[in-house]
This record gives sequence, C-alpha cells and structure tokens, in this order.
Amino acid sequence: MKISFAKPSLPAEGALVVGILEGRVLTASAKLVDEQTGGTIARAMAASRFEGKKDQALLLAAPAGLTVQRLLLVGLGKADSIDALAAESFGGTVVAQLAAAGDALATVAIDVIDGAQIGAADFAAHVAVAARLRGYRFDKYRTKEKPEDKPSLKKLVVTLSESGPAKRRFAVLDAVADGVHLTRDLASEPANVIFPATLAAQAKGLADIGVDIDVLGEKQMKKLGMGALLGVGQGSERESLLVTLRWNGADDESAPVAFVGKGVTFDSGGISIKPAGGMEDMKWDMGGSAVVIGLMKALALRKAKVNAVGVIGLVENMPSGTAQRPGDVVTSMSGQTIEVINTDAEGRLVLADALWYAQDRFKPQAMVDLATLTGAIVISLGELYAGLFTPDDDLAERLTAAGKAVGELLWRMPLDEPYDKQIKSDIADMKNVGGREAGSVTAAMFLKRFVKDTKWAHLDIAGVTWAKKDGPVTPKGATAFGVRLLDRFVADYYEKR
Amino acid sequence: MVFSAASAPADGLAVGARPGTPIGIGDPLLARALAGCADFKAEAEDVLPVMTGEGWRVVVGLGEPEGRNARRLRRIGGALYAAIAGLGPVSLTVSLGLSAVESAELAYGMTLRAWRPSERYRSKPDPDKVVLLAQVTVVTDAPNAAQARFARLSAAAVGASFARDLVVAPANDLTPERFVERLDQLAAYGVTVEVIDPAAAGLNLLAAVGQGSVHPPRLVLLRWSGAPNGDRPVAFVGKGITFDTGGIDIKPAEHLEEMKGDMAGAAAVAGVLLALAARKAPVNALGVLAIAENMVSGRATRPGDVVKSYAGQTVEIIDTDAEGRLVLADALAYAAAIGKPCWMIDLATLTGAVEVALGGHRAGLFTADDRLAASLMAAAEAEEELLWRLPLTDAYDEALKSDIADLRNCQWERGPDALHAARFLQHFVPTELPWAHLDIAGVAGVDEDGPLAGEGPTGFGVRLLDRLVADAFEGA
Repeated sequence: MKISFAKPSLPAEGALVVGILEGRVLTASAKLVDEQTGGTIARAMAASRFEGKKDQALLLAAPAGLTVQRLLLVGLGKADSIDALAAESFGGTVVAQLAAAGDALATVAIDVIDGAQIGAADFAAHVAVAARLRGYRFDKYRTKEKPEDKPSLKKLVVTLSESGPAKRRFAVLDAVADGVHLTRDLASEPANVIFPATLAAQAKGLADIGVDIDVLGEKQMKKLGMGALLGVGQGSERESLLVTLRWNGADDESAPVAFVGKGVTFDSGGISIKPAGGMEDMKWDMGGSAVVIGLMKALALRKAKVNAVGVIGLVENMPSGTAQRPGDVVTSMSGQTIEVINTDAEGRLVLADALWYAQDRFKPQAMVDLATLTGAIVISLGELYAGLFTPDDDLAERLTAAGKAVGELLWRMPLDEPYDKQIKSDIADMKNVGGREAGSVTAAMFLKRFVKDTKWAHLDIAGVTWAKKDGPVTPKGATAFGVRLLDRFVADYYEKR
Repeated sequence: MVFSAASAPADGLAVGARPGTPIGIGDPLLARALAGCADFKAEAEDVLPVMTGEGWRVVVGLGEPEGRNARRLRRIGGALYAAIAGLGPVSLTVSLGLSAVESAELAYGMTLRAWRPSERYRSKPDPDKVVLLAQVTVVTDAPNAAQARFARLSAAAVGASFARDLVVAPANDLTPERFVERLDQLAAYGVTVEVIDPAAAGLNLLAAVGQGSVHPPRLVLLRWSGAPNGDRPVAFVGKGITFDTGGIDIKPAEHLEEMKGDMAGAAAVAGVLLALAARKAPVNALGVLAIAENMVSGRATRPGDVVKSYAGQTVEIIDTDAEGRLVLADALAYAAAIGKPCWMIDLATLTGAVEVALGGHRAGLFTADDRLAASLMAAAEAEEELLWRLPLTDAYDEALKSDIADLRNCQWERGPDALHAARFLQHFVPTELPWAHLDIAGVAGVDEDGPLAGEGPTGFGVRLLDRLVADAFEGA
C-alpha cells in the first residue's frame, strides 16, 4: 500500500473517510461532506446504530452529491480521549473496512479536533502508520489466489492542512513499521525456509543500512564454551549460529543497550518431543530473535542516536540420533553446569549462553531479552500482556511505560529468590525446569543465573507473538510484539537528543 | 508458653549466637561441647541442639543484628520449635537476650509452627511425629510486657490454627453441616453465626453447585461487632467447597484427595473472624462462607445448565469444575447487598492457573482499587503471606461471553483462567465497592515444611487479613 500526505481537498474517486466524534458530532470534513451531499451523513447516522464511538464504522455506497464510490464514517470517540493509540486504532479500522471493499484509492480527511491529546499532524502520522501495520499481509505462498480475494486498496492519501509536518513524523514511524514488517515476515516463514543459516542471512541483509553483522558458527561457539546453546542444536542437521547485530548511532563510545533474542527456528521439543496438535506453531519459536532483527532495522532506518547491539542465538531443536537426551549435563559459557531434565525447555539454554556472551563481550548499560519462552505465561497472562521479569525497578518502569505508549502491554511478574530452589539439580549447578508451578518465574530465575550485575529484563512473549484474531494494528498472525515497544524504550530513555 | 525474668530450670536451655562471634563465651560447657565445630554459622533460623552432660543445650542463630525484625524472630521461633519438638526435652528455657517485643514474636513463631493435625484421625500416635516439648519459658527483662504482646499475637495464631484444623479435616468429617457445626466455636468469642438456605434466599448458583450432594449447601454469615453499630463492616468472603470432585466434569483421580482442602478460603474467613473476636478488635466485620459439596450424582448440575444468580445475571455453566466462582458470585453479591461493607475481600482456592503463574510462594491479588492493593501488599509483606497483583480487566469479557446467557463461567480454550475467574467475580460486585480477590490455590497448603507451617495447610490469609484490619482500623 502506497501512503502519501496532501492538503485537504475532496477526492474525485475511490473511498473517502471522515471522522465522527462520539454523540454523532461531525468533524469539519464531515460537515463539509454532509453539506455537499444534502445531509447524507446525518440521515445515514439516524438510520443506523452508528454513534461515533471509538472504532465504530459505517460504510455508505454511492453517496449522492459526491463522485467517490464510497464514504466511510469512522468513530473517533470522545475528543479528550484521542491520543496516538486512538489514532492508530482509527487507521486500523479504516484499513479493515476498506482493504477489500473494492476501491484502489482511499482518502482519509484529518481534522484539527479541539480538546484532543494530540494535534492533527501527529494524528495523521499515526493513522498512516496504522494503515501500514494493519495492512500487513503474508501471502507469498498463495499461488492461486483469485484477484477478488486480494486486497483492493492500493493507495492511501491522508489529507490535512499540516501535511508537511505529518509527513516528517510519519517518516520516523514508517521506519519502525519497516522493522515490524520484517519481523512478521521472519516469524511467518515456515521452518523449511527460515532456519539458522537463512535467518542469519536475513540479518546480514541489514548491512546495507549500516548494521554491522557478525556470525559465529558451531566451531567458534565451542571454543567459547557455549555448551548450553550447542546442546540444543546438536540434534539438527542444521548448524547452530550466534549472530551479533550492531548499530552504532550515538557517535561516541557509550556502552550499548543490548537486546538478546531466542531464535529456535523450529522447536519439536527434541527428545522430549511435543504432542502433534499445534506443533506447526513452533516455527515461530524464533519470535524473540525476529524482534531483535526488526528492531535493529528500525533503529538503523531512523538513524537512532544510540549504540545498540542485538545478539540472537539460532538453533533448530530436533530429535535425532545425535540429539541431546533428558538427563544430559552441559556446561555453559559462564562455567555453570546445567542438567537438561526436559529437552523442550530449550529456550533458556540458548539464552543462557547468548545473555552471557552479550554482557561479557559488550558490557551493555542495559540488556533486554525476548523469548517465546514458556507455555506457563499463556496460562498466567494470556494474550493481552507479555510477562516482564526484572530485578530492577527502574527498568521495569521504563519498559512498562514504553509498552503502554505503543499499545504493547507488559505485566511485571515476580522474580524472588524462593522460586530459585525449584531449579536445584541433584547432580549439577541447576536443572532446566522447575515443575508446573510458577513455570514462567522459574524460567526467568534460570536466566537470572546467567546475568552478572548488568541491568537486565526478560520479556516472555510466548502469549503475544502470534495473534489468533485481528487487533487494531495487528492482523491475525505474527504480531512483531516488542519491536515498537523497544524502539520506544530506546527513543525515550537511551537516545541522545 | 511462659515469660519470665529469671531462667527456670528445664530439660533444655536455648541460647543465642551471632555470625562471626565465638559460641559459648561465658558458657564453658557449651564452649567445650562445640569445640572444633565449624559448620554452624549462626545465621538466622540456624538451630543446633547439643546433648551435653548437663542436658540439652540448643544454640539458636540470630543472624546479623541489622534486620532483626518481627518477621525474622517469628521464623527463628518456628525453626527452634521444629528442631526440638520431638527431640527429647519436655521443658525448654529460651534465653536469647531478647527484648519483650522480640520475645513475644519468637514465641508467636513457635506457636504457629507448633500446629499439628488433630490426633482424632489416628487410632494410635505416629511414632515419627511425637511431640515431647510441652513447656517453654522465654526469658526476658519485661515478662509482663512480653506476655501482653504475645496475647495480642496469639489471637491470630488461634485463628490460623482454627483454619488449619478445618482444611486438614477429611471431607467425611467436614460436610457442609459439620462445617457449620464447627463454627459454633466462634460463638464463645462473641461471633454471631447465621445460617442461610441458599435456595430459599435466591442464591441459585450456590444451590446449583451443591445440588449433586446429599449434604445440602449453606451460606453462613459470621458477624463480629467490635465497633459502634453504625460503622460499616469490612466483609470477608470465602469459598467453602468441602469436597470438589469437579462434578459431572469430574477431575482425574490422581491427588483428588487434596480437594478436601477446597474450602480453605472459607476456613481463612472463619479464622479471621475468630482472630478479631479473640482480641476484641474495635471493628465490625462480616464473614460470609459459601459452603457446598461439589458431587457427581443423578441430580448434579450438568455442563450447559443455565442458572440465574442472586444478582440477577444468568450464567451458563460450561464446566461444573469451575464451581468456586459460581458460589463466590452469589456470596459476593449477597454480602454486598445485605452487609453494605466498606471493603470486601474474598479468598478462594480458585484456579490451577494461579499455581502455574505464581506457584506456592505468592497468592494472586486481583483488584481495581490501587489503595486496597497497596494496603494488602503491605500487610502481606509484614506477615510474610505474600501476594502478587495480577491483571483485572474487562478485556476478558470476551472469554466469558455465553451463546445463550449473560455470562459463562469459563472457556475451554487454553488461557489465563485465573484472570478470567477474577473478571467473572467482578461482574457480581458493585462497582463503587472497593473489592479484592485473593486466589490462594497455590498457597493454602505446602508440600514441604516452611518456617511457620509444616507440610500441610497454612491457614493462609488469617494473619494477613487480621493485620490489614489492624493497620486500617486500629492505627496499630
């Protein structure tokens, strides 16, 4: 979808979108259209249940007095509740209504709204980025899709008097949306296409926009003593890799912010194999690493003034004659030994070495990892919140605030010592599972053992990485949860102004 | 438990020790007995009993002087009791150099840890669980002050023990009627007990959960009036499923016997009322116990049945094993309507999901009221009955939508059932009433010994809520 900004003018063709405030209060554009059409909007509202509540929509075909094919009314809710998220919700609704309505062109008329929390330019920019986000589609494997099943909408024009400022603001958001799209593509790709080598190749693609990429193979990881990560990958024919992505945008030697991602390109569970039902979802068990790649793309594209480093551990967890067995003891890069009770609790093994490597090598000022780590987090928090685990209250506040600002919600979970005893092993320093109770907490406690004194937070994104239904800016499927959150986190707290 | 200024002769003498300080200074006997013994670090809760030529000496680690607070002293008391209860001494003098307040807290910890299940369920004592210790004297400069403080604390211990007794009782000894009978004990303390037939009062959800059993369900109102009549009470509501088979959606056999404890919420509420009454707390309190036995039978509620709640909303019962939220829904609505409370807090062993989320270390706290949340968190920290706040939002209404009724009680799809349950309950609570829900499924019993409770029921909630009342209404 092509997105552009223009000065206000009524379009001659396609669909026209105007906003209506709660209580059927017309915006300036809506008033203009209502006058031009001899009161069509007022009549249509009176004949329907449309009241202008947030995200309500009413589609009018062939409006008299206009040359456009369709007129879409979208509810703005109450003026004082209009913020960036409301704007995105508005944009998402526009796309949901018009993507397949038949028009190739849609014009969204944006007005200055008294009492709104954000101005028209911001509103317009967020509507536009929402259109990109909600308009995402992963259809490369559909070879026989009929034209009528493809989206008709090709071009979105956002009109407002401040079109210049809106366009500049959108440019920044657009960069982040590029990152989101890449992350969604990577998570959506099947595991016969995306595996460690091809995922690393995708990361290497970011070299064009100034991201330094470094790839360690199994030999080098062995030298570094990454027994935990290597153990997970040893059942697969495919070589495990550790990829480092660096964006140095701060123009100084300041310590980077590190992002560490779990990249299990397919998780069969290994010898502790998973049940068959739903196992195909395990192609997106590399969701954390996909977020790190998308985030690095976003930071580089918008030339963020920050030093950031991404470290992703890429492995395929397969059962085979060479696979690691339940009961095996591995030695991590930190020197600590781990008894692998369950080969399906593999994410924490990969992260253990990736976290250790990231802090050992880069001495980051803060480190955040993302992982589709536990099923327990889905039972704990569902699909509305990702789990946030950190011993650091400041970091917790920063991440929670960033998440709230972009609509990617976090809920802090406990991380206190009594949970640690659940992962005591009879023969090694620790075991990799702590039982059914507090399963996400004990996983986080496991990771904590691999963090020295670095400020660190762990995001368990197993419940939020793949959406079963459409959200305001996330069509069903891969959400890229974390890209926008961490981009905001960097922008608000770590970027040089 | 006796407090005394002088050391009384006893079979055993407990003395204090601190990390890094040689043990037995001024006590040549102990110094000799422990010569060369290096692995006793005297950290808090370390206890080392030594048989000497002159009887038992028990070295009690007190930890570093900083951080020696009530919580630590209780834990030390609990550890001391656990270490020596069955060891040999019948009488023990505890001489740790503690102040009056510290002595009382230590004795309180010993008392909490001393709870044992009633012997009535055995025909002869278990030789592995014999308790020999019968008399403890705590030496302190101000025995009267210690005794006064201990009396105040003991009230909560009495309440917690009562709750534990109820939880440990087998379901054939604690049917709904027997549960109600046991509550007569509260009357002696000035608590009034009112028993209501749910079906007659329109508590149809509670009636539906109990209808499969030959033991009819009951709603019990416990009232403690320690404040002037006009003062609005604080209400505590407890889930009291005396046995939960799951109903027609029957549970798997393994560990099903643990479901005798599915009334731990109601037991805690009874315990709190007892504690408040025992110490004559200057507060009005209302306890509401929703008591039923969830059985499989020819007249049990079926999955798919629709029942009209006391509040008027209809509920489609998708899963007969999500019964706790049903009985609570009616109990909460009833408590709010007839009690007009200033606050309402419910406790329930409600979901397996909360165990998956928080395990056995913290209970789930759900509330829309930030002030109540803060008060509860503070009381929980002080009493080491820990909570963790979890989300409560209307976003989960989607999961509670029924095809034919106002609400359904749960969904079959895998999801955050503890959060859904909390939101379900919120539909039955007036919006203006500050209300909190504590999901205690993970903490009502422990499967290994803890500092203040051995393996078994904990009485979780009694101390926490007693403390909450004290902090909120008594300026303590």
